[in-house]
Amino acid sequence: MTDTIDAARPSTGANTLAGPLLVEIYRQIARIHEVDNAVRKGLASGKFRFTYWPLTGQEAIPAALAPLLTNDDYMVTTYRGLHDLVAKGVPLRGLFAEMLGRVDGVNKGKGGSPHVSHPAVGAMLTTGIVGAGVPIANGLALAAKMRGEGRVTIVNFGDGATSIGAVHEAMNLAGLWRLPIIFMCQNNQIGEYTLIPDYTASKDFAGRAEALGFRGVRLDGNDAIAFHSAMRDIVADVRAGNGPVFVEAVTLRLGSHAGIAESNHLSAEQRAAGLENWPVKRVRVLVLEQGAASEDELVAIEEKASEEVADAVNFALESPVTPATDMYVDVFAQLDFVPRRGHYPARADCSLPGGETRKMNLAEAIRDAQDVALGLDPAVLALGEDIGDPAGGVFKTTLGLSTKWGAERVRDTPIAEQAIIGAGMGAALAGMRPVAEIMFNDFVGVCLDQLTNHAAKQRFMSGGATSVPLTIRTIAAGGVGGLGAQHSQSLEAWLLHAPGIKVIYPSTPIEAKGLLLSAIFDDDPCLHIESMAIMHAIKEEVPLGDYRIPLGVAKVKREGSDITLITYGMFVHQCLAVAETLAAEGISAEVIDLRTLVPIDYERILASVSKTGRALVVHLATEFCGFGAEIATTINEELFRSLKAPASRLGADYVPIAYSREIETAQIPSQDRIIARVRALMKH
Amino acid sequence: MATDLTLPQLSMSMTEGELAEWLVPDGALVTEGQAIYSIESEKSTQEVESPASGTLRQIGSAGETYNVGDKIGEIV
Repeated sequence: MTDTIDAARPSTGANTLAGPLLVEIYRQIARIHEVDNAVRKGLASGKFRFTYWPLTGQEAIPAALAPLLTNDDYMVTTYRGLHDLVAKGVPLRGLFAEMLGRVDGVNKGKGGSPHVSHPAVGAMLTTGIVGAGVPIANGLALAAKMRGEGRVTIVNFGDGATSIGAVHEAMNLAGLWRLPIIFMCQNNQIGEYTLIPDYTASKDFAGRAEALGFRGVRLDGNDAIAFHSAMRDIVADVRAGNGPVFVEAVTLRLGSHAGIAESNHLSAEQRAAGLENWPVKRVRVLVLEQGAASEDELVAIEEKASEEVADAVNFALESPVTPATDMYVDVFAQLDFVPRRGHYPARADCSLPGGETRKMNLAEAIRDAQDVALGLDPAVLALGEDIGDPAGGVFKTTLGLSTKWGAERVRDTPIAEQAIIGAGMGAALAGMRPVAEIMFNDFVGVCLDQLTNHAAKQRFMSGGATSVPLTIRTIAAGGVGGLGAQHSQSLEAWLLHAPGIKVIYPSTPIEAKGLLLSAIFDDDPCLHIESMAIMHAIKEEVPLGDYRIPLGVAKVKREGSDITLITYGMFVHQCLAVAETLAAEGISAEVIDLRTLVPIDYERILASVSKTGRALVVHLATEFCGFGAEIATTINEELFRSLKAPASRLGADYVPIAYSREIETAQIPSQDRIIARVRALMKH
Repeated sequence: MATDLTLPQLSMSMTEGELAEWLVPDGALVTEGQAIYSIESEKSTQEVESPASGTLRQIGSAGETYNVGDKIGEIV
């Protein structure tokens, strides 16, 4: 193992640094080491209780990099990134309080040790999912590039993360877009508990960058002087706009994967050699050898670091544990959007603007909304597969936009959903308002981690320090016929089950435009699901210019007195047709278009069902464990005594959407099936 | 002020551990950082350092198994 490290040492290059710079690097190493020690001591004594992923051995990488960066430079790291956070300048008091789950934590104690962010110093995100920060870092770099800010983004990840697809997708996109980003692969030679070469046949990782068309270098991450010297040129190069660089910083993890139990992944010889090469010792020796500081001066640096850490620990232990009363805060920008039992706020609807209109179908209205948004705010950008002209999107929902606004703001992407959502999320973290297209709703499965673990949770995990104003547009194509099991699903339930993401499901061109504009200018991630079955079929006069339909406001589309049909998307039209048929047989059906699923408008739902005494929720998605079950249960619980029949739900059968037109027609709700269910409910 | 000694969580999956041995007798003076007892958990034995300097008061008994977070002693 030490051979690998020796081999990584640059054979030429600087062997000295200016004295004060070397001392500064050591000062940073000493701070990291004191933090590591304090965490270990706190955990060993039982005074702290949290999971720790030791960075021991990797101190020199961020310490040697820190003098080359400013607070304006962005940094993303992982759960094993405490050294990165310390070196980037996250205040230690807030850092320790965060690790202990206290109110004075930089993220109010809601993120904890694996999810620290502190945008004031450019520490934008810490992920607990291996490799997942890398696509997001691209978005930070994209925002910096588009704004011409000269910021560099450093994304730290371990060698283990090179095995994960998200990293490959992100590297490909960064190379393509020549993003100002440094992929800092801290090769500590162990992926969790498995050493190289037991998880890869690669001889090195830097070569992967070369394969993707950009520069990759392999450096000794324990040689602070050579590493700093090489990074000085790399940072300058990336800052100058010459595209990304992949740095494989070879080091050795001395601790275990998780916890402070002794690591058993290294042999006694490997461990002894690793300790010999440990930056905490090695750089100290260098400082003395080069006469950069005296022994007394080093002791003073170490004592100062020790005092800073002791003060931070005391501060953190005195800070109160973040109280349960803070639970609903930071899920969304709007506290009252959080679905809660018994909490059904009334929200005002808006009226549409007068003035000029144009006849549009759903695709044209969606296009128009994006056009208006791009015109209103330079922070708006669109990205997705084939969205640029001449294709203009597979469903023509972006046609003409790249011609009008340019390929910088309306960006074609590789076929790489994790890279798309990651770039959108990262740009949103930096304050942009990206609109990312995931062509078919079915493809959210490819990027579900980016959506649900990252975009959805970031506001909460950061205690409101950051937010993700990202809009994701996607098509649900069920009911069209012939698209088969992997291009026909309506997967809102998957996203509704991930707290932190708003889900919008419009039914008409007017509403799609007004809701999409609200989504783009909302400060949280919004998923906008567009029904393919009505994409071109329905045309109406849509107001020109900017107007917003508020989120969380359902609309009664037809008044009735016998039963409430609650629905959204394409089934609004089916239910309106059903209501006509039912009227002929003397059943008066009220039809509610939810418009947005989270936030949900229970106030209007419950008011309607209080009046009618009966309710049926209808949706395209699978009935079993679907959104209809959630709504029906709430109605049954809240209105039990006044109901004339139990609230019910109707969705697709629990079967993959079939290719056979006969099966598909039979498995998703049809007007006949809706009518049959209504009649059955009327007989109660 | 007394510093509690509670059974630490040494790894992600550890919920309990055996207080294998007190390395320092009850009532002895210890210094911060000194190994004072050992834990056996998940097939490995590890020595635990004192979080403070002072006099060791043993509460837990060697050979007994405790849950993570249980008080097994204090430094006064």
